Amino acid sequence: MDSDCLSLLPAVCLVLADPKQSPPDDTSLEKLLDWFKEMHSQSNEQVLLQHQPCFKEFISSVCTSKTTDPAILSFTLKLTGLLACTKQGFHLLEVGGLLVCVFEREAWFVCDLWEDASVRSGWLQGLLNMLKHRQALDFICGNGLLKVILQLQNDGSLFVACLANQLLVHILNFLTSSNMTNGSDAVESRESSLSPDWVSVSSEIMNGVVEALSSDDHPRVLQGLRLLSSVPSQCGEPIRSTLWKDVLVPLEVLINRGSESLTQPLMTVLQAAVRTPLLGQSEYKVEELLEAMLGSGNKNESFQCAALTIKLEKCPEGLKRKAIDIVLLPLQCVSAQSQDTAEKMNLALKEQLSQKASCISHLMQSLSSLEELAYTKYQFEGISIHSVTSSVVLLLRICSGHYPSSLIQNNASTHLIGCCKVQRCGLDTLGALSVYEENMNIRKDIFGVLLDYLKSPDSHATVLKKTYQATVSWIAVCSPFPDLLQFISHDLFPVLKKRMCDLRWEVRDSTLEFITQLTVALNGNSGFIEALHTSGMVSILLSSLADSEGYVRASAVAVVGEAVDSFLHHTVLVSKSNLLEEALKQMMTILSQDTEGFPRRAVVKAFTSWLKGSHLVTAVHPFLSSVLSLGCNDFDWEVKMHTLELAEVLMEKTLTCCPYAVQNFGSSEKELMQALSKLKEFGLFDLLFNSLFDCDRPVCAKGRWEF
Amino acid sequence: MKLYCLSGHPTLPCNVLKFKSTTIMLDCGLDTTAALSFLPLPLVHSPRLSKLPGWVSKDGAINLEKELKECSGRVFVDSQPEFCLPEKELLDLSTIDVILISNYHCMMALPYITEHTGFTGTVYATEPTLQIGRLLMEELVTFMERVPKAHAASCWKNKDIQRLLPSPLKDAADVWSWRTCYSMSEVNSALSKVQLVGYSQKVELFGAVLVTPLSSGYSLGSSNWIIQSHYEKVSYVSGSSLLTTHPQPMEQGSLKNSDVLILTGLTQIPTANPDGMLGEFCSNLSMTIRGGGNVLVPCYSSGVIYDLLECLYQFMDSANLGSTPFYFISPVANSSLEFSQIFAEWLCQNKQSKVYLPEPPFPHAELIQTNKLKHYPSIHGDFSSEFRQPCVVFTGHPSLRFGDVVHFMELWGKSGLNTIIFTEPDFSYLDALAPYQPLAMKCVYCPIDTRLNFHQVSKLLKDIQPLHVVCPEPYTQPPPAQAHRSDLMLELQPPPMAYRRCSVLGLPFRRRYERIQLLPELAKSLVPSEIKPGVSVATVSAVLQSKDNKHVLQPVPKPAPVPPSKKRKRVMEEPPEVLNPKPLLSGAVPLEPFLATLHKNGIMEVKVEETADGHILHLQAEDVLIQLEEDGTHIICDNNEPLRTALRDLVLRFLQKL
Repeated sequence: MDSDCLSLLPAVCLVLADPKQSPPDDTSLEKLLDWFKEMHSQSNEQVLLQHQPCFKEFISSVCTSKTTDPAILSFTLKLTGLLACTKQGFHLLEVGGLLVCVFEREAWFVCDLWEDASVRSGWLQGLLNMLKHRQALDFICGNGLLKVILQLQNDGSLFVACLANQLLVHILNFLTSSNMTNGSDAVESRESSLSPDWVSVSSEIMNGVVEALSSDDHPRVLQGLRLLSSVPSQCGEPIRSTLWKDVLVPLEVLINRGSESLTQPLMTVLQAAVRTPLLGQSEYKVEELLEAMLGSGNKNESFQCAALTIKLEKCPEGLKRKAIDIVLLPLQCVSAQSQDTAEKMNLALKEQLSQKASCISHLMQSLSSLEELAYTKYQFEGISIHSVTSSVVLLLRICSGHYPSSLIQNNASTHLIGCCKVQRCGLDTLGALSVYEENMNIRKDIFGVLLDYLKSPDSHATVLKKTYQATVSWIAVCSPFPDLLQFISHDLFPVLKKRMCDLRWEVRDSTLEFITQLTVALNGNSGFIEALHTSGMVSILLSSLADSEGYVRASAVAVVGEAVDSFLHHTVLVSKSNLLEEALKQMMTILSQDTEGFPRRAVVKAFTSWLKGSHLVTAVHPFLSSVLSLGCNDFDWEVKMHTLELAEVLMEKTLTCCPYAVQNFGSSEKELMQALSKLKEFGLFDLLFNSLFDCDRPVCAKGRWEF
Repeated sequence: MKLYCLSGHPTLPCNVLKFKSTTIMLDCGLDTTAALSFLPLPLVHSPRLSKLPGWVSKDGAINLEKELKECSGRVFVDSQPEFCLPEKELLDLSTIDVILISNYHCMMALPYITEHTGFTGTVYATEPTLQIGRLLMEELVTFMERVPKAHAASCWKNKDIQRLLPSPLKDAADVWSWRTCYSMSEVNSALSKVQLVGYSQKVELFGAVLVTPLSSGYSLGSSNWIIQSHYEKVSYVSGSSLLTTHPQPMEQGSLKNSDVLILTGLTQIPTANPDGMLGEFCSNLSMTIRGGGNVLVPCYSSGVIYDLLECLYQFMDSANLGSTPFYFISPVANSSLEFSQIFAEWLCQNKQSKVYLPEPPFPHAELIQTNKLKHYPSIHGDFSSEFRQPCVVFTGHPSLRFGDVVHFMELWGKSGLNTIIFTEPDFSYLDALAPYQPLAMKCVYCPIDTRLNFHQVSKLLKDIQPLHVVCPEPYTQPPPAQAHRSDLMLELQPPPMAYRRCSVLGLPFRRRYERIQLLPELAKSLVPSEIKPGVSVATVSAVLQSKDNKHVLQPVPKPAPVPPSKKRKRVMEEPPEVLNPKPLLSGAVPLEPFLATLHKNGIMEVKVEETADGHILHLQAEDVLIQLEEDGTHIICDNNEPLRTALRDLVLRFLQKL
């Protein structure tokens, strides 16, 4: 196919170079370039250019044309770069002076074209494509193109400026790469110093960065910071440390100036530096700079910096502690219950908390940082995790409007009542804080606030979902406590019963999911299982199987599956209930009649899970052939996939004398025949044969694999 | 301008506004919470209620066995329930010119005001307000008249006795103003005084003010009112809603630029969001039905019930409860359901457009057609034979003191499977349930109040920017149970003027202008002279005619020609003597030129003193003072009339004459 395409190439080039033809859209030009790139990587390096002289003609005609379209010129620049990325290609193009003709914009017949951003972008991309060998760098530096690249760093077009930055980083990186050092001593030379030939190149770029950072022009500073943030990770020594030394002074000035709009880019730079050996060396002042960024915690950006600092992978401990102190301030301020605590808060923070937007953003930073720390089970020093958790609980109470009157009055509470954003974030954090054993003695408070959220008629569906997640985390860690069962059966179950009848299907769905998770988490807890089956929950679960919403029915199937499973562990309960019969009856109805795929998939999954366990094998046997046949003929390919999984488990369970199983190698043939005939009775072979010819590829593959 | 506050209840207001020469009553709400002090009126003989012990004080000194009964640890009055009327003594109700009604819940005291007080005015209300208000009154009368009581209890109201009674009877206020329900003939007579108005219709009251009803979005036909003269505007906001329910949305734009905004009828449950409550209602209902129990919803026969039925119409099928019957039992159930379907023009756009399809605007029509919703005038008759359980019953009265609901409380109260769901916010559900204790049935409180909450009202006030706001006192402080919730009160600049029952407020603005019409022939005769660019003045001699609060300047009639006869004319018929008016002066006396003129006229010794308003010139030799001020010049010159005249003429040289 490629050879056919190549034969068309001269004609394509002619069309592209013809100014009378309207240029094709960018996408097709990009696709063409992608194809060239692929061809280039596959073929012997020089083949393309040598065997396709049309390229040179095309490039030359575009550059000398007086009516070139910007899109075609941009394409040509990128193409030329691509063709010149090998030494041979570069040489072929350089010989005829074509390279200069392409990249020297003074050589173009239409100078105005430079005004077009796509042309500038193509020019940079071309150079970037080309910069794979030393000659290319010689070409760039020798023709004074570096100055142009530095200028383009401040281009009006963001794409161009970004590309210029990328190219400059690439040049710096290239200076220390093996391409420049030729041979085995590459590593050493990279580590030690730069070849004197290239010192001027690197200093020109570095001076550009220093100038940009010292500039009063905000966009220029931003570009400088962007370049700087790429250097530590992408460039090796000595470029990294040299550049860092150069920019240290302007960087300090910028940090001390404390401009809010620069916080994020400055932190990105510092984040990049933290990941390198620069961090450990005092002369590079990385830690000092980070500390300066944090300031005293009274500026708006301090909180953002603190939140970012906490996220740093290799953050020095002292700095992290300071950041934690700062980031928790808004949370402590809002939930201050004594005048003493309130007075400690600085005025600037109070002012920020009195404005809705900054109040919510600061609290979100506090909460998400706390959540992040909790995930790593960070051991706080000087702060009691107990009091932090209580603050989160109090904040959640403020958000629901049920806060104690002892709370110091501030405007923040007015902004927070009913604020779903903070509620969700707070609940996530509260869930994460369950890892700390110290919190066990305030579990009553925690379950109290969670219950309030579950009860509240105003809780948004997403807030309820988060409440369920947090509740599961806490229940999982509190399972050894005897008062947990009391809470579940007396407080939680009545609320869940009501939520299963909620007007919003999302709430019904997440409630059922929650009960599933709860049943899984407390599966071994006989008290829980007894409470589940004697509290009237099961009848509501069964009625949820007929919910009007497919997703809810699917979740109901899952939870009923779990309930049945847990139930069968308790022989005392089994005799008193017809749960299994009722569940099987309704599930079979769903599998055969439900119009939506989710509930049907859930039914097959429930059977698979039952089959995997040991209790239900005999009880479900009479239904298996129907399940396999219904699953096999289902319109939904995922139902078929799940049916094949069920078949797989069935085979495992039945073929205890499988000839391929080493441990059963000696089993008699008779037993095998019996097992196979049993599988045949279930209709398993029909299922497998049908799946082999299924129109859905994954089903076919799975069927084939099972065979 | 004054406001007389006859009711302190924030959502059942009754205020009287004296504005220009008119006396306007704004709503006449009836506070029915007084009924909670009375024993329920059972529709079917209740052995429990009939055997209650009478109350005797502990020392046996007071024996009110016949009037007061002890029930479930509380003392109730065993008599026809009574209601707390608006204050009648604060002003003479016969002087009221008009009554403006904002919605059907705020007119229930109308017969008490219009009958037997000498009231001769007109009541203005929209058609749905009148018709549904009539239904509610009719229902109330039927509830009372169905279960007559032989004796009326009044001894307990005696001050000396009342203070010795147990709470809450001891603390009941104004018990002497409590009255039993009116009769149907009084209702008919009161409603015959109603004149119907449409939204944005301008009604002129005695030529003095214009009143206009605006849609308030709360209930069918509910309105806010604008009361305005040419130069003043008072807005009356009562029971408004910004939620999308069945009525036409609230019109806000016309409330802008008010001098005074009287704000009443905010939500009674500011912490309960109606959507959340509707969700609670549905889930509790569904849970009870699934558990095999019945649901009792004590409610008014119009209003939120339409939204509840609509919500249930969608919910029941999705919750798989499609076969559960709903019963709506009220003497006016049928009319209420039918009226709601015919007031299409008063409904929200979505429902209005259904009428053109044509489809009934509310889905309860379909519920009735499919026999899912059945309505009966009473529990007697067809209902008892068709009644099927488990079911949902909507019936009144929400106070649980009278109406068919009393029977259901007696019937279902003993089973824990059943649930009573309170949706009306007017009564404390614990007080309502007090005579039924101990109660096994579950109680759920889901008050659905769609009226404005504090957040919405703050936003509304920011938009419409009235100069002054007048509101009931409870709106100026957080609710007593949540004293720290400063978000549940009105915080305005300037602070709102708060009123309570019996307050008389002088509204904080003075009328400064009155519009007078100039007849064209008089206008033609005017000779304007420009006193400064863009401002011309002219003197007018005319006769001011004031009639029906309209003022017209007419030309002075010419004196009749002297009749040829020498008969003496009657003095009375002589036209008024028209004197040539003295010229009017304008302009200012400039100091320096005036001093120069004085000098020229031989007055040399002038001492000039600067004052706050201008200058005082002391003519020392003549001992005369001339005060030159912005709006007046005074020459103080004792016993020298020629000098005074001379000085006056000098002053006049500098002024323009009209």
